[in-house]
Order: sequence, then structure tokens, then C-alpha cells
Amino acid sequence: MSNPDDLIESLVRDLKPMPAHALERRMAALVLPALGLSLLVMLVFFGFRVDMAHALSLPVFWIKSAYNALLAILAFVAIRRLSRPDGDAGGIFAGFGLVVAAMAIVAGIQLAVSPTESYRVLIVGGSALHCPFLILGFALPVLYANFSLLRKSAPVDLRLAGFVAGLAAGAAGAWVYSWFCTENGMPFVLLWYSLGILLVGLIGALAGPRLLRW
Amino acid sequence: MTDALSEETLKRMMLRSLDGDEGAYRHLLQALRGLLLAYYRRRLALGARSDLEDLVQDTLLALHARRDTYDRTRPFTAWFFSIARYKLVDHFRRGGGRMLVDLDETLEAASGEDALTARIDVERLLDGLPPRQRELLRRVKLDGESIAEAAGRAGQTETAARVGIHRSLKALARKLRGET
Repeated sequence: MSNPDDLIESLVRDLKPMPAHALERRMAALVLPALGLSLLVMLVFFGFRVDMAHALSLPVFWIKSAYNALLAILAFVAIRRLSRPDGDAGGIFAGFGLVVAAMAIVAGIQLAVSPTESYRVLIVGGSALHCPFLILGFALPVLYANFSLLRKSAPVDLRLAGFVAGLAAGAAGAWVYSWFCTENGMPFVLLWYSLGILLVGLIGALAGPRLLRW
Repeated sequence: MTDALSEETLKRMMLRSLDGDEGAYRHLLQALRGLLLAYYRRRLALGARSDLEDLVQDTLLALHARRDTYDRTRPFTAWFFSIARYKLVDHFRRGGGRMLVDLDETLEAASGEDALTARIDVERLLDGLPPRQRELLRRVKLDGESIAEAAGRAGQTETAARVGIHRSLKALARKLRGET
């Protein structure tokens, strides 16, 4: 391979037509099965929340679901940008700021209309201590998929790419977890779900510079 | 050089390569090899010239393996130089404590790259103007002559030159906004 023309010829021989949106296809092929695995683990080992039929009629259940889904979508859009060498984070942090701020408003409203005695349930609930770690658990398959995607892509800011890969996995894991979790407190979601997502983000930021070099 | 290796030419070759055109890909890789040699030669310290060929080959391999990260709707040179720059920084990082260029040279090198792509872009824009206006604009805006000087050379009154430059800039602005 020392002769430059040999290298070029071997690359030319290896050339195959690249389908349109090849990167997006690769992303879908990695992330969707990982998300499916998380959902499967949740259904088999945990099951839907015990009051599922009732929860489906609660706005707070859907707000919780939408909070995590929105954060995940924002982060996946940013991963797509960051996997290109000439890409940046786009508006992900502004987007996250808006979604979290909206959630803070919803949480404030819920507290304002609730009696003071219920604050403990709405803020700490019964699962605050293990919630962030279960989110981390459900995030692991997606975290692995995101890193696999980025390792075969061309991110140039490895810490940022790792951080966003972690946020996306964390938000996806939180969304999966929200089908099992029985907490209805919006302050609870704002605090402990966000903490779980951030935890996975920090793990990604730590791992990025080590695992994503190419 | 702007003629042979413009953004437009390189991008066209890249798009054909992505569709599986081996001839276009061979040309593209040879052209990029030349660009990389020049790019890295300017940035590696004299003592590190033996790394030059390794770095060029490593970069060509990387852009081959990761060519699906090129977005067909975006400029090709931005994608390509981002990879080249990443590989250079990674090369320095692998060198451990031995930083092979000093900061001044890196800064100068970075502006050299910007200057290359900027020049390609500006020349392409100017090409769309009538010759007289192009010349006037180049003298005043790029070479820094005064309007009076440039008007004198072009055999125009200063007012006519001012109007001409104003019109050219408006035309360029329209072009940049994609209105023509």
C-alpha cells in the first residue's frame, strides 16, 4: 500500500454506488432495533405501569411521554448533524432549553393548583432514587447504537458528539421508562427524568474522546 | 488552479463517485491527493515530512470509508477540508507531547485554507459580472484602490464608477440570495 496509485486503485475497486440518505439509513438500522430491545426488556421484565388503562386518559402521562420524546428527537437530529465532519450541534441546546422551560412551567402550574400536602408526592414521589438509574439502564442499548453509528461516521468534536449521543440515548431510555413509571408529578419528571438523561449525556461526553476517534 | 479544482468541479466528481462512477472517483482521489499533499506540507514541521505520505493516505482511506457522511446538498470542499483538518489534529494528538507546529503557523495555515475556499467562491461570483464591472469591483474591493484611482484607470468618471460598483454589489447580493 506504499505506492499512492495502488491505494487509489484499491479504493476505486472498492467503490459501490451510495444510496441517497445512506447516513440516515445507517442511523435507522442501528437505533430502531436498539430502541425495540429497550421496549422489549421493559415489557418483559417490568411491564406497563399497573394503572395503564387509567393513565392513558391522564394529560400528565402524555406530557411526560412527549417531554422525553421531544428531547430524544432534538438530540437525534443533532447526532445526524454532528456525525458529519462539517456539521455542528445546530439548535439542540436552544431546543432543549425551550422544552425544559415549558416543562418547568407545566410543573409550576401543577404545584400551584395542588394542595401543599401533595408536594412531596409530586416532587420526590416514590421512585426518585432509582429513576435516573433505570433510565440509564433503558438507555444503554441506544447508547451503544449511537456510538456504533458515530464510530463509522466522521464527528470532529468527539466530546460534544459523545454528549449528544448520550442525551439522545438518555431521552430515548426515559421515554421507554415512562411507560412503566407510575409517577404523575410534573416536577418529578422535570427533576429526576432530566437528571437521568443528563447522567447518560455525561457518560457519553466522557466516553466520546476515547471511543469515537477515527 | 481555481479552474481545475473549483468547488463546482470537485463536487460534480464527488456526486458521480457516489453514484458509482469509477473514472470520476479515480480523478477525484488524484485531485484530492494533490490538495492534501499541499495542505499538509504547509502544516507539518520540516522534521515531520516523513509523516506526510502516511497522513495523506490515512486521510484518503478515512474519506473513502466515511463518504456516506457527505451531504449531497452541501459544499464539497467544506466537507473535505474538515476531514483533512481533523486528521491533522489527530496526527498531532497521536504525537503525544511533541507539538510539531507552533500556534502561529497553525493560525496562518487555517487562514490559508479559508483563503483558498474564499477565493474560489469570490472568483466564481465575479465571473457572473460584465468584464468592466468585474474589473472595477476587483480593484476597489479586493485590491483596495480608491474609487477615484480605479475610475481613472477604467477611463470613467468617479460618479459613474460609484454607480457601477453599487450596481455590481446589488447584482452580487441578488445572486447570493439565489434570485437569479
